[in-house]
Amino acid sequence: MIVTFLDIVIAGLLMGGIYALIAVGLSLQYGVARVLNISHGEFIMIGAFGTWMLYKMVGINPLITLAMCGPVLFLIGFFLHKTLFRSLLASSASADIFEAKSMLASFGLLFIIQNIAILTWGADIKSYSYLNYGVNLGGALFAANRLVTLLFAVVISTAFYLFLAFTRLGKGIRAAAQDPRTAGLMGVNINQVLALCFGFGAVMAGLAGGLLSMCYPITTTMGMEYTIIAIIVVVLGGLGSIVGSFIGGFLLGIIGSIVTYIEPGLAMVSYYVIFIVLLLAKPTGILGK
Amino acid sequence: MKNKVLLGLLVVTVAVVFLVGVCATNSLAKDKIVVGMARPISGWMAVIGDSAFRPVYETWVKEVNAKGGIYVKEYGKKLPIELLIYDDKSDVGTMTRLTEKLIVQDKVDFLWPACGTAFVFAQAPIANKHGYILLTAEGGATQVKEMLRSLPYVFVGLSFSDWYQLPVFAELLGEKGAKTAYIMYVGDLFGIEYSGVAGIEFPKHGIDIVGISSVPPGAKDLSPIIKKAKASNADVFCCFGYPDQVLPATGTSIALGFNPKAWIGGPGANFGFYHTTFGPAVEGVMGFTSFSPKQSAAAKELADKLYAGKPEEIQDFWGHPLYWASLEFWKQAIEKAGTLDQKVIRDIMATQKFKTVLGPTWFENGLMAKECHTGEIGQWQKGMFEVVGPKKHATAKFVYPKPPWPKPKPKK
Repeated sequence: MIVTFLDIVIAGLLMGGIYALIAVGLSLQYGVARVLNISHGEFIMIGAFGTWMLYKMVGINPLITLAMCGPVLFLIGFFLHKTLFRSLLASSASADIFEAKSMLASFGLLFIIQNIAILTWGADIKSYSYLNYGVNLGGALFAANRLVTLLFAVVISTAFYLFLAFTRLGKGIRAAAQDPRTAGLMGVNINQVLALCFGFGAVMAGLAGGLLSMCYPITTTMGMEYTIIAIIVVVLGGLGSIVGSFIGGFLLGIIGSIVTYIEPGLAMVSYYVIFIVLLLAKPTGILGK
Repeated sequence: MKNKVLLGLLVVTVAVVFLVGVCATNSLAKDKIVVGMARPISGWMAVIGDSAFRPVYETWVKEVNAKGGIYVKEYGKKLPIELLIYDDKSDVGTMTRLTEKLIVQDKVDFLWPACGTAFVFAQAPIANKHGYILLTAEGGATQVKEMLRSLPYVFVGLSFSDWYQLPVFAELLGEKGAKTAYIMYVGDLFGIEYSGVAGIEFPKHGIDIVGISSVPPGAKDLSPIIKKAKASNADVFCCFGYPDQVLPATGTSIALGFNPKAWIGGPGANFGFYHTTFGPAVEGVMGFTSFSPKQSAAAKELADKLYAGKPEEIQDFWGHPLYWASLEFWKQAIEKAGTLDQKVIRDIMATQKFKTVLGPTWFENGLMAKECHTGEIGQWQKGMFEVVGPKKHATAKFVYPKPPWPKPKPKK
């Protein structure tokens, strides 16, 4: 009984860790930068393929690759916002119009990134074996690569939370999330902060992709599935709430694990049920205001 | 009277000149055979399309065109093949619209297949309705056999569950004394069919199915199922799914130390990328196959054409040889017909035998005869995907029980 309980809870945490990381990234982009980035999953895919490529072709440890992918994805995200989304923001009469425009633009981005990836890496499935051995936790067996994934997801998310809580820039980001206009009046360079948020969101997605590639097969068309999960988690946690996304990710992981244990086919269905119930019962999410 | 005769001669002369002119124009104008395809260049099916039929038709067309093309007596010359390919975006609806477009609007000379069982099901009636030959590649299912009776223009080249993979697999296991099996299958037409056929074939050889679990196509964590399979202590584990399921099921089995006496997964274990992912750890893992380069000089030559100097990832020992043989068969049928008339070629394909890389090849009721298959079940042995069943085509003995997975590192 205890082993079964551990099986379900730990398996939920393992999946939840990845969900949390992905959702924190989208929360920054949507909650702060107001870009419902439909191409978020494509950054996950880029991180996954970057890690796979460096491991298979150059033999670089995937955990080291995480450190290499981070800055690259940050720069991509940062400049995307500085160019594409900044100009959309400038040409939008209101925040609502910007949200609509940016969502459409991110749709376009999705297809562009995905097709470049297909041309570069092909459409076939990629996979590698890394830290693939069992670890016994209180009688329940888990693959070591998944435990490492959880550890890194928690460390990265916590580090980012501390950055937001205790640094000047982090406080600026939080202020922008709460009220961008007032934050601007208080001296926060809003445009810079929004671009940074988009860049950080891309980093989170890329790191999650790198961690995912250690455990699961990857394809150049994998992005959308994770984008949908990220949207569910962000809504579950509350728009703009980093901590909410973190909690929401783990919650969704554990619920998914319980449902998977009973009937694997219903895991994704349960996510959508949660999404619908939440929209009806508490549209602001767990920690949303 | 004289005038009438002269007028008659004039009319006949004009008519003859016109007909000769038209024929000559046709002969001169027809300088290529246009083959149309609606393929998954993007979307979820692109994973399969990109690694299955694409490398085969690309290599084959290049080879045929390098020799001038296909000789068509009607035109008195060889005609090179030109491919017209649209992206169906892995969507059945888009694929059917594009298929209609290729036939009605583009008026292609021939149609080559879409990718996947469900797509074949949708495309076959359209091709048949327009009298276009459809020689399928990826995809095949038991239900197709029923459909083919009313689809005379459709020919299925790929082997599948009861044609004749699982009967051979069950026989191999029965001979080795396997008693129990656990089945995990992907919850779609493919998985349902394979698990159903296993449910018929296994008991014939004294194998009880002690557990069965379905997984949705997008399932990530397969550890609950692998743990249940391990707890069942089954002799045989079957993963009837796509690479999306076979790869994580293998990884999870290794990590959790689930090492049944036989482990089969497909489609997945038959690909080169499966071996490059896990390396020697997959020793003894089984999958579906149709040939081995060891079987004949022709098989070796084909393997060299498709794989020499290329990454191991692109290898596919199940589909590639059958797709290649189908194309060779199609070309010879056209040459024998001496025309591009679909009806004439179709009749030849339905009734005649041609020599392909598999040996003598023919179709029975629209299916490539199972006697043409040069393998059904493969097993990884020392880095090679050997044919182990049926025995008359085996390139290695079936290893049962499979060797253990590599020893796990010390546990916590």
